[in-house]
Amino acid sequence: MNGGVEVADLCFSYAEQKILHEITFDVRSGQLVTILGPNGSGKTTLLKCINLLLQPEGSILVDGIDISEISSSELAKKIGYVPQLHTPAFPYRVLDVVVSGRIPYLGLSAPQKEDYELGCRMLAQVGIDHLAEKPYIHLSGGELRLVLLARALVQQSRILLLDEPTSNLDIKNRIVVLKALRGIVEQGIAVMMTEHDPNLASLFSDRVLLMNRGRILRYGRAEEVLSRENIMEVYGIDVEIFRSNGNHYIFPVV
Amino acid sequence: MDYQKFRAALILVPIVFFSAYLSVGKYYIPLEHILSLSFPEPFEYTIFFNVRLPRAIEAAVFGACMGICGAALQTTLRNPLVSPYILGISSGSAFGAALAIALLGQGFFFLVQPSAIMFGLGGIFLTLLVSRFRGQLSPISLVLGGIIISALFSGLLSLVQILVDPEKTQTIVAWIIGRLNVVTWDDVTVSVPLALLGIAGLLILRWRIFTLSMGDEEARSLGIHVEKERLLTILLASVATASVVSVTGIIGWVCLISPHITRFIVGSNPRFLLPASISVGASFMLVADLISRTVWTFEIPVGVITTIVGAPLFLYLMRRSMHEWRS
Repeated sequence: MNGGVEVADLCFSYAEQKILHEITFDVRSGQLVTILGPNGSGKTTLLKCINLLLQPEGSILVDGIDISEISSSELAKKIGYVPQLHTPAFPYRVLDVVVSGRIPYLGLSAPQKEDYELGCRMLAQVGIDHLAEKPYIHLSGGELRLVLLARALVQQSRILLLDEPTSNLDIKNRIVVLKALRGIVEQGIAVMMTEHDPNLASLFSDRVLLMNRGRILRYGRAEEVLSRENIMEVYGIDVEIFRSNGNHYIFPVV
Repeated sequence: MDYQKFRAALILVPIVFFSAYLSVGKYYIPLEHILSLSFPEPFEYTIFFNVRLPRAIEAAVFGACMGICGAALQTTLRNPLVSPYILGISSGSAFGAALAIALLGQGFFFLVQPSAIMFGLGGIFLTLLVSRFRGQLSPISLVLGGIIISALFSGLLSLVQILVDPEKTQTIVAWIIGRLNVVTWDDVTVSVPLALLGIAGLLILRWRIFTLSMGDEEARSLGIHVEKERLLTILLASVATASVVSVTGIIGWVCLISPHITRFIVGSNPRFLLPASISVGASFMLVADLISRTVWTFEIPVGVITTIVGAPLFLYLMRRSMHEWRS
């Protein structure tokens, strides 16, 4: 295996209640994996377990290294995280927010010219370098998501976790964010994200991980995982599936 | 903004105010005497060295300390209304000082300061204790805990004031308002090193403090030890605040207004905010104390000046910066 994440027997309980049950799967470098599942199925919890924002049982290896044995700044160099919701506390400049992604490398020192240059490059990569000097509280939801993505890229980690990167975005901004993620995956980074739209999952991901009640129901290629039977089992709704240009489209039957 | 010029301004502006402070007063000391450190009159030397210089140092350090502690706490707690005073330090100190004044006679006045420091730190300790919830120190519970502990100490303070004789009550009230006319070299040597320690620590941590303001989860995913580093920030700010407040009393508003004046000048830029808040705080205090000892025939306690000037100034800054917050 040429690097990536290996999760084995991951369990997580909160207040005596078991939320995740024996999760085992792996993601290779250069793959985009989408976690799908109903509300409350444990998608976000799984993401937060993988970068130890929560403390799960089981083992998580990143590029073969057990992450429970490394320091928090080493972990931050290996795994970048983009939260679903970010509430700005102060009107910081976009570039400063992005440069805070360098903190794991800086320790107690201040960011240098190279760090700001890297920040500008990553803003350019996600297509918003023109916003570098703007206060980030004035951005639209899509722009803010891209700023946080650029910050995660500045961490130069091999793994990127994103919690619902397309939520509350219009159709165009969803595509903008997902295309940016595709570009990142092509550079050999492993990306895991949660998502609600099975069609976007199918269009953009290499693998789909379908969760139900804290367990993995299926893990594999989108057209195999997102079958009519599986969707019926997980969501309890009937869908029709169409194929066009090699893509797989899912429509609910109403 | 040109970084070099900016850095020069940060150092020069407080120096200009510091020199003006030393020169201007009921007794005018020409600037050339100060710069050459040669005083033709022994009286002038005494005023300069024993009265004005220690007071100027204490004023500048108090302001610097309040500026950076306010800015650091507001940043780490993600709340622009937080100040060191809100976390129980000031009301703890006030109670400590009052208790010492009440229990001891005039001869033991030197014990007021240690008592103020002790109870100030006791106040923040209690705040931290009641704010911890499931092993976590969240910004909101810290602010609420601080309000609770402050209220408790204020109640105890009122009790002391009611129980002691009126003469002592007057001393207590004067202490609480905050003033600098009593500062001696002894006070400076006790309070300034601790204050400088806190200031230096916060300056070193400034990028990590900035990262803490991204929110706990995000800071953690960036490798910050959220609980430990927030606690360290609070402790540094508390030690610095308690040490200067124990000398000066509860001079109000400087800790709240200085970070906001700084934001008004440099924005929220993490590179400049904390260093600049040191200069702004020091300059603000030097000007306020200069007003307090020159504007009237007798001296007005500087705490009165900072509050009377601070409140409307805060309103002005708030109105001017509202557009920045509206999104």
